Amino acid sequence: MPTAIVTQLNGHVVQVRLASETTDTTAPAALESTATETEAVATEAGATETTAATTAPNPIAATPNELAWTAGSFLVLFVIMRYFLFPRLKKATDARYASIRANVEGADQVKSDARSAVAEYEAALAAVQAEAAGRIDAARQTLDNERTAQLAQVNARIAAARAEAEAATAQARAAAQSQIATAVATVVTRAAELATGRKPDASTVDATVKSVMESAVTR
Amino acid sequence: MLALEFPEINSLLVWKNLFDGVGFNKIALIAVLATTISSLLFFFATRKATSDAPRGARNLAEVIVDFIEDGVIMQTMGKEGLAWTPFLLTMFLFIYLCNVPGIIPFFQMPATARMAVPMFLAGLVWVVFNATGIKHQGPVGYLKSVLFPPGVPKALYILVTPIELISTFLVRPFSLAVRLFANMLAGHILLVTFALLSEALFQAKDKALIPVGILPFIMLVFLTSFEVLVAFLQAYIFAMLTAVYIGGAAHPEH
Repeated sequence: MPTAIVTQLNGHVVQVRLASETTDTTAPAALESTATETEAVATEAGATETTAATTAPNPIAATPNELAWTAGSFLVLFVIMRYFLFPRLKKATDARYASIRANVEGADQVKSDARSAVAEYEAALAAVQAEAAGRIDAARQTLDNERTAQLAQVNARIAAARAEAEAATAQARAAAQSQIATAVATVVTRAAELATGRKPDASTVDATVKSVMESAVTR
Repeated sequence: MLALEFPEINSLLVWKNLFDGVGFNKIALIAVLATTISSLLFFFATRKATSDAPRGARNLAEVIVDFIEDGVIMQTMGKEGLAWTPFLLTMFLFIYLCNVPGIIPFFQMPATARMAVPMFLAGLVWVVFNATGIKHQGPVGYLKSVLFPPGVPKALYILVTPIELISTFLVRPFSLAVRLFANMLAGHILLVTFALLSEALFQAKDKALIPVGILPFIMLVFLTSFEVLVAFLQAYIFAMLTAVYIGGAAHPEH
């Protein structure tokens, strides 16, 4: 025997449907929620006798109570947000951004100070290096001058010693040549005297010996 | 074969009153909760000002505000539109928190799947952007800028003016409301469909059908995660279009 199930909402009939007793009426989850709000009235009737008078509200129609609650909720949220919560959040956010900005600017200042300190240090270092280089150059120049002067002195002393030695050598050579010439003249005179029985003229012998010795030296 | 009875659509959307006499049903509860949650989030976010990096509720609130300012207002209205942040922030939060209950157990109903919510919001946007246009350009100037858009050849006004009239004053609020409503209602019906199908297959008398129930169940899980995206996307689109309409009314030359 089919059963007509009449679903009512707030006293209004919203659905009428037929169901047999053996039907597997697996209740859908969403339907279950409406089941509590319905007053199911089962009446025995023939299938042909039942009139499906479905008068459920249009699913796309807006109901006044939902409209009112939506409007109220939204407007309350907007007023709270517009006049209380958002300004507080914005104020706190702006304050934090300002603090961060100030910190960043402070960090920039510190960085700038550090850069100028480094530049000053580098300038001082360059000045010290330049002064050191100048001193080194001056010292090197002084050393060069001293060395040149000492070299000149040493060279002068060497030259003097050499000249003195050369003079002594020349003097000794002249003395030796004179002795040799005298000895040769003596020998030549004696030999000529022995050979000729007459003593040759001394000046002639000396001139001859001298001439022979000079030609021998130049040869 | 499955003895599956799909409920009528209206039975998926009609909720009993939780309190007698004030018409406070599940939709109203979701709307009130959206207001309460948004207010509490920003209340806790602003409870203690700190110069440290934001955390917790404050971080979340600032992320949402930044999203509205950078992702919605700066993209559509420019810097001078930042004064609209509270309104668009409220709009986005309210819609999102009305969308999300569609996938939250025990709620399982997006409030925006009832026409009252999108209709009110779209109507409010209609009032706001028209009032903004009148405030910035005067009634005649605003009407002129709407009906006779600058830069259009005069001969085309015969065609453009009626289109703009219908588009601006009728289609905009209608499309705003229907877009949100239809998307959320469709998602809700899809979730109900696959949930019912899964349950019917898992409880089928024919044991061979029980394993088949995994297929609609997988689809149900996928659609649930998809609804997470839809909930956000619809709130974003609504806020974005609101900003576009207000920006266009305030500065038609843009």
